[in-house]
Amino acid sequence: MLTNTLNGLVYGSLLFVLSSGLVLVYGLRRVVNFSHGALYMLGAYIGYSIALRYGFTAGVLAGGLALGLVGIILDLVVFRNLSDRNPLVTVIVTFGVFLVLEDIVKSVWGTQNYTLDPPAALSGVVEIGGNPFPAYRLFIIGASFIMAMILAIWLKFGRTGLFVRAASFDPSVAAMCGVRTDLLGPAVVGLGAAFAGFSGIIAAPFLSLHPAMGSEILVLSFIVSVIGGLGSFGGAFLSAMLLGQIQAFGTVYMPELAALLPYLLMSLILVWRPQGLSGRAA
Amino acid sequence: MGGQLRMSRSIRQSTRFPIGEIVGVIAVGLSGLLFAQLDMPLLQSLMAQALILSFLAFGIGYLIRMTGWVSFGHAGPFGLGAYGVALAFSGPGPAPEVMLLLIIPGVTLLYFLVGLVVSRLEGIGFAMLTLALGQGLFVAATKFRAVTGGSDGIAVSLPRRLFGLTTDLLQQPHGMLVFALSFLLIVYVFLRLFERSHLGRLTVAIRENEERARFLGYRTRALRAAVYGISCGIASIGGVLFGLYQGFVSPDVLTWGMSGSGLIMAILGGSSFLWGPIVGAIVFFFTREWLTENTDHWLAILGIALIVIMVLWPKGLSGGVERLLARLRTGSGPVPVELRRKAA
Repeated sequence: MLTNTLNGLVYGSLLFVLSSGLVLVYGLRRVVNFSHGALYMLGAYIGYSIALRYGFTAGVLAGGLALGLVGIILDLVVFRNLSDRNPLVTVIVTFGVFLVLEDIVKSVWGTQNYTLDPPAALSGVVEIGGNPFPAYRLFIIGASFIMAMILAIWLKFGRTGLFVRAASFDPSVAAMCGVRTDLLGPAVVGLGAAFAGFSGIIAAPFLSLHPAMGSEILVLSFIVSVIGGLGSFGGAFLSAMLLGQIQAFGTVYMPELAALLPYLLMSLILVWRPQGLSGRAA
Repeated sequence: MGGQLRMSRSIRQSTRFPIGEIVGVIAVGLSGLLFAQLDMPLLQSLMAQALILSFLAFGIGYLIRMTGWVSFGHAGPFGLGAYGVALAFSGPGPAPEVMLLLIIPGVTLLYFLVGLVVSRLEGIGFAMLTLALGQGLFVAATKFRAVTGGSDGIAVSLPRRLFGLTTDLLQQPHGMLVFALSFLLIVYVFLRLFERSHLGRLTVAIRENEERARFLGYRTRALRAAVYGISCGIASIGGVLFGLYQGFVSPDVLTWGMSGSGLIMAILGGSSFLWGPIVGAIVFFFTREWLTENTDHWLAILGIALIVIMVLWPKGLSGGVERLLARLRTGSGPVPVELRRKAA
C-alpha cells in the first residue's frame, strides 16, 4: 500500500516536472509545444551518453543545459517568428520539430532500448515501513520537488519571475511597463525545455530509453495539462499526482486496464469540467 | 469583417450551377476506370493505397474546412474501421454483410457522441484531446489481446462472397482502385451537396463566428459535433477499405504517426477546395514511397516539409490553385482580397 503510494508519487512528480515545462511555455506563448516529448527524450539520450563517460551528475547537468539551449533556439527560430500567426500553425510546426528530433535520436542512438544504472550512491534500497524501496526513486521525488519549489519561488518572488507572470497575463501592457518581453521568450522556452531535459535524464534509470518514449510521455503530459486546465501550475500539480497514483494502483489492482485509466480519467473529468480542474469557465 | 467576406463569397458560389465540377467528377471517375484497365499492377497498387489513405486526409481536411478544428487523432476512426472489418468476419453475430454495413454509421455515431464532449474545448485543447483519445485507442488495441490480437494484429478472413458478389477483386489492385475511387467520389459529391445546403452554410457561419450564430438562435454544439462525426466517418471508410484490401490489421493503423501523416496530407493539400486533402494524400503517398526507397530519414524530411509548408505556404496545393483561378477570372485586374487565413 505504502509502496504503491510512493511509486505513484515518483511517477506523478516526474510528470509534474515535465508538464510544468509545458505550462510555462503555454503561459507566455499561448501555444502547446508538441515537441515537448521529443525534448524529454533528447534530454534522456544526451544525459545518458554523458553519464556513461563522465558520471551521473555530469549527465543530469548536460541533459538540462543542452536542452535549455535547444529551447532557446526553438524560441528564436519557431515561436518568435510565428507569434502573429494562428496558434494552431505553431502547434503543427512544433509537431514537425518533433518528427525531426525523433529522427535525429533514431539516427544517432539507433532504435534499441538502453538502460542506465542509477549512480552508486543511490543504487541501494531503503527500508520504509518495513518494505524495501529503491533509493533512486526517493531521489526522483526529492529532485522533482526541489525543482518545482525553485520554479514556484522564482515565479512568485523573483523579479524576472514577476516579469514572466506579467507577460503571461498581458504581453503588451507588460512591454509598455518596460518589461523586455523579447528576452523573456527565449528564457522561458529555454527553461521549459531544460525542465523537459532534466525530467528525461532523471527518469532514465527508472524507465528505459527507447525512441517511442517521447510520444508516450507527451500524451501523458497532455492529459495532465488538459485535466489540470491549460496554463495552470496548480492544476498540473494536482492532476499529475492524481495520474501517478492511478497509474501505480492501477498496475497492481487492474493490470489489464491500467494503461487505459489515464484516458478514462481524462474523459470523465472533461465531461464534468471541460475547462479542467483549475481552469476558469470559458 | 473577414468572416462576412468569406460567407458572402461562399453563398454566391453556391447559387451558381457547378457545371465545371460535375464534369470534373465524371472525368476523374472515367480516367480511374481507364487506368484500371491498364496492365500496371505496381502503380495501380500504390494508387489504391494512396486512395485508401486519402479518406483519412479527407476526413481531417473536411473538419478543418468546416470547423477550423485540427485533429491529431483521426487514426482512431480509421483504425476502428479497419478493426471493424476484421471483427465483422471473425466474430459471432449477424451476417458479415450486416456487420459491414454497420461499421461506418457506427463509427460516425460514436464520434458524434465524442464530439459533443470534445467540442467543449477550443483550438489547442481540442488538438491535444484528439491526440490523447487516439492514443487511448492505440493502447486499448495493444492491450485487449483477446479481441484485437494485441500487437501481433489480426487477419481479415474475407468471405468468398459478399452481397452475392465474389470478393477476389477487393484484394486486387485494379479492383480496389475502382472501388475506392467510386467511394471517394460518392463521398465528395455528398459533402459538396451538404456544403451547399442550409446546414452546410450554417456550419461555415459557426466556424467564422460561433457566438454570432448562437446569437441568431442556432444551436451550434450539436451541428459541430455532427460535422466531427461525419469527418470521422469518412476516415473510417478508409479504414474499412484498408482492412478489405490488406487482409490484415495491426495497431500500426492506430499510431499517432498515422494521425500525423493524415494531418500532413490534409495540410499539404490545403482546404481551399474540398478536394485539397485528396490531392495532398496522393502527392504525399507517392513522395513517401519514393523517399523511403532512397533514404532512411523520411521522418525528418516529413517534419521539415511540414514546417516549410506550414510557414511558407499555409494554404497548400489547393490554395495555390485557388489563387491561380482567381487571377484567371479577374484577368489582369487587381489581385483579389486574400481570404482570411483559416485555422490551418
